Amino acid sequence: MRILIVDDSAMMRAMIKRVIKLADVNVEDVLEASNGAEGLELLKQHDVQLLLTDINMPVMNGADMLREISLNPDRWRNLSRVIISTDGSTVRREEAEELDVRCYLEKPFSPEVLRDVLNELADNEFAETE
Amino acid sequence: MSSTNSPIMNLPKLSDPDTASAMFEAVRSVAEQSFFAVAEPGDERSFAAQAAAVPSWLVATVRFEQGALQGSVACTMPTTLARGLFDAFAGRDPSEPEPGLELVHDLVGEFSNMVCGAWLTRVASSRTFTLHHPSVESVLTPRHEGGPRLLAVIDDTPVAVEVTLKAEPQHEPSQG
Repeated sequence: MRILIVDDSAMMRAMIKRVIKLADVNVEDVLEASNGAEGLELLKQHDVQLLLTDINMPVMNGADMLREISLNPDRWRNLSRVIISTDGSTVRREEAEELDVRCYLEKPFSPEVLRDVLNELADNEFAETE
Repeated sequence: MSSTNSPIMNLPKLSDPDTASAMFEAVRSVAEQSFFAVAEPGDERSFAAQAAAVPSWLVATVRFEQGALQGSVACTMPTTLARGLFDAFAGRDPSEPEPGLELVHDLVGEFSNMVCGAWLTRVASSRTFTLHHPSVESVLTPRHEGGPRLLAVIDDTPVAVEVTLKAEPQHEPSQG
């Protein structure tokens, strides 16, 4: 599985990468981007199965990136989308549902919570494709 | 219809006890869940006493906005605490090289970002705000504009959180 982390904080990306290593998932590669525009470029260049993205970022935010992705449902049919954001508003959560987001993880979160999300996704979504 | 377009209402200020309580809960949850640190309420007297012994501070400010409503949350903490939080967040072993100041700034910025988001979710969960990338600066003494601020103690170290709110005047529809 190839994972893309999109977050404008290098520390948050490093923390997520550390948790990925602790999770019981078969990871081929972890890519990083610091905003939605960079994330979209990487998605176009690589076959990514799991996207972990923040919402509030400079240049292009995570919601706009997810909207772009949803415009090409065939191209990214096998891309599981997870939001990791400080924005826990009901409006944003409803919006996420419309954008085919599998999980909405609100910051702050403990590493164990993210690890459990990754393990659950691996069990339910990626087991068949591996 | 999304409430994003609902009329702007002012957020409650930190002088409101419930709002201050929500801010402390935001600080506590961020400290405990993401940084494995213990947060307790602080007060002006003990803050002043502890602050006098701190040689350098970091201030991370996160601006937020929803339409005409703009504001910011600024977290001020000793540099030593920031480095301790870095180790907890990154899982850094003491034998590893010290992180550069740029990474420590990024860490304090993310701390403020999470506090700001957690607080806004508590006091205005039906609305979504745009949060801007944090700005971080080093200062020798903590600034205080004089308004209400939340004081906390994280791992026995003083921390201050200030909220600035600014609602731009709304254009009234022309009459007659």
